[in-house]
Amino acid sequence: MARAIVLMSILTVLVILPMIHLVFAEPAEAGQYINRKAEIWNLFFKMMTIAFTVGAVVSGTLIWVVWRFRESHPKAKPTKYEEKGEW
Amino acid sequence: MSGHSNWPEWIYVAVVICLLTYVGAEAWNVERIVEHTPAEAEVIKVTGQQWFWTFEHEDGTKEVGELHLKKGKPYKFEITAKDVNHSFNIHDYVVLQDAIVGRLNTVWFAPDKAGEYTIQCREYCGLLHYNMRATLYVEE
Repeated sequence: MARAIVLMSILTVLVILPMIHLVFAEPAEAGQYINRKAEIWNLFFKMMTIAFTVGAVVSGTLIWVVWRFRESHPKAKPTKYEEKGEW
Repeated sequence: MSGHSNWPEWIYVAVVICLLTYVGAEAWNVERIVEHTPAEAEVIKVTGQQWFWTFEHEDGTKEVGELHLKKGKPYKFEITAKDVNHSFNIHDYVVLQDAIVGRLNTVWFAPDKAGEYTIQCREYCGLLHYNMRATLYVEE
């Protein structure tokens, strides 16, 4: 468990640091004023892309779990508690 | 806990942390960029009252119901209200800031296209709210 946490922490830092660097990189055109409409819409599109991707993955996972672990699935088997009638 | 691997859960947690970090950092950075007013921005005092807008330039010039600005120049609006709460909006330039009695809210922008644009109150402020408009003239 501790090993997993350390490994994941390292991986997280390795991914997060470059990401922050990327996000906070200086804009190429110095001296130009920002275009509020472009900045705000870009942010909106990025957020929506992430939101819909995460939404699709989460709902897809849920649908798969419900489909795979239903009682009538050909590969379904009772849990060890169900087998022993211990509930 | 024995008999199966936890890796999928840990990878899932890491991906969620990365996504949330990215979303937070990106949103914070855009807000920082959008709110950073250039030092050379000209201050325009904006006052909302039922049901019209008044503008005062740095040189003391006042305009009612219309605002004349220069293309490519940054402007900082200092916005307040006299009677009830209003909201100052230039839709085409995504400028939106509440006009609150007793408060001075600021927002800045730099018009990049000459033309006529509508300024509209975006906070319901009484009977003639729908008609609380002004015209922004951006000149070359």
